[in-house]
Amino acid sequence: MSSLRNAVPRPAHKERPQPSSRKKFGVLEKHKDYVERAKAFHTKQETLRKLREKAANRNEDEFYFKMIKSKTVGGVHRPVNEDNKYTQEELILMKTQDMGYVLQVLQSEKKKVESLSATLHSTGNKPANSHVYFAEDREEAKELKLEHSKRENPSASGDVPASIKRKTERSYKELEARKARVSQLEKIYMDMALTKELQKNGRKRKLRPDEIVNPTNRPVYKWRAERKR
Amino acid sequence: MVVPRGRGGSGGGFRGGRGGDRGGRGGGGRGFGGGRGSDFKPRGGGRGRGRGRGGRDGGRGGMKGGSKVVVEPHRHDGIFIAKGKEDALVTRNLVPGEAVYNEKRVSVQNEDGTKVEYRIWNPFRSKLAAAVLGGVDNIWIKPGSKVLYLGAASGTTVSHVSDIVGPTGVVYAVEFSHRSGRDLVNMAKKRTNVIPIIEDARHPAKYRMLVGMVDVIFSDVAQPDQARILALNASYYLKAGGNFVISIKANCIDSTVPAETVFMSEVNKLKADQFKPSEQVTLEPFERDHACVVGGYRMPKKKKDA
Repeated sequence: MSSLRNAVPRPAHKERPQPSSRKKFGVLEKHKDYVERAKAFHTKQETLRKLREKAANRNEDEFYFKMIKSKTVGGVHRPVNEDNKYTQEELILMKTQDMGYVLQVLQSEKKKVESLSATLHSTGNKPANSHVYFAEDREEAKELKLEHSKRENPSASGDVPASIKRKTERSYKELEARKARVSQLEKIYMDMALTKELQKNGRKRKLRPDEIVNPTNRPVYKWRAERKR
Repeated sequence: MVVPRGRGGSGGGFRGGRGGDRGGRGGGGRGFGGGRGSDFKPRGGGRGRGRGRGGRDGGRGGMKGGSKVVVEPHRHDGIFIAKGKEDALVTRNLVPGEAVYNEKRVSVQNEDGTKVEYRIWNPFRSKLAAAVLGGVDNIWIKPGSKVLYLGAASGTTVSHVSDIVGPTGVVYAVEFSHRSGRDLVNMAKKRTNVIPIIEDARHPAKYRMLVGMVDVIFSDVAQPDQARILALNASYYLKAGGNFVISIKANCIDSTVPAETVFMSEVNKLKADQFKPSEQVTLEPFERDHACVVGGYRMPKKKKDA
């Protein structure tokens, strides 16, 4: 029965829109929108009321630890600074742990690049290697050259569906992103290792640009040779 | 109203049943076919069928939700290119369901419903794959050929060569090291067209009882005297007019001179031994300072006519 009822077309119910003269006020607010807005307003009012009440009932003689652990600077609460929260050893340990984490991520990322590049051979692109042909004499060389120029690109894959093309593209994009990530992580790891080495004892100095053998735009340090017993 | 058909249809039937249950609880007491129950049944069935068509049933249809990978033949016989999530060189797996060195496999369903499995050929682990991707014109290894493979190692490339030559071809895989020879033998247990030989390739006479005349010699021995090794083996086993493929690692021969010079000197050595090199490709993005030289052996003299 109901399916019969469904078959009979019913007049479409249309919502009243904002009149064009009041367009500047945005879309027309409906009752359910108003309820939401009013509820939000009342909760805010309630919060303010409670805070006011608290301030009015404050005990002037009471002691709070925040009184000595923080102070107001220009009316804003600031906690006392915690610069020396950790000792030097603790800091070094934490840095080592950071380095360990970066190294771990770097290695896992390298593995992923390896497995991805094992399945992505850019078969459509022209190879960027050198290809030499050997000929016995000039005539044969000419023939080979002619033959080679006649040959077209090996990528004759016109009938690959678009969905599969998209998939391949996505894989290549992922490979590129991972490669970029590996290089970034390598840089970060090198920086961390350098700062760690510099924190250790031992006389060292930064080399001047003209002293650097392999030109690089990164700082180069040289440690004084120390006799070890 | 709706005849349940396949997976989707049965799901629809289940939904209809639930509707009927609810109708029963409403007080009608008529159970399965109750007033509301019958109301729900067609609707549930319809929905179920829709899901079935979009989802798992689609594989048979072909177009919708079809294969995730397309495999097309490569320029070289017996080699294919798989396109999908991967864009890779593949060979048709001779032993479906098994990987040799944990390589990825892809399987494709044919029009007649048979499944074909392909193994991805990693060019970072195989110089022959790197040469193929490097655009070498001819590798001479094709279905049905007899191949002598010097320097087989663990048999990663050998397994792909055995895929290429297929059941009608033979691969004689020579490896000196017992350790990697063990893997080679294990691989050869599954592949009947591979004959593993744990011998020194410098003494081809030692395995003369196992090897017959071959069409192609592939050499990847990475020794300073690899040209001599190839010449020795060719003199024993390579037919006149046969072909060779040799991979040259410049560092293994002379690490003090530029790679190009090493390749040149090796090619000259080969020429002195009745080989006629036809082309040379470097294996650039996959290996550094490696080259693959391809050519013929005891080629018939060209007739000077015209």
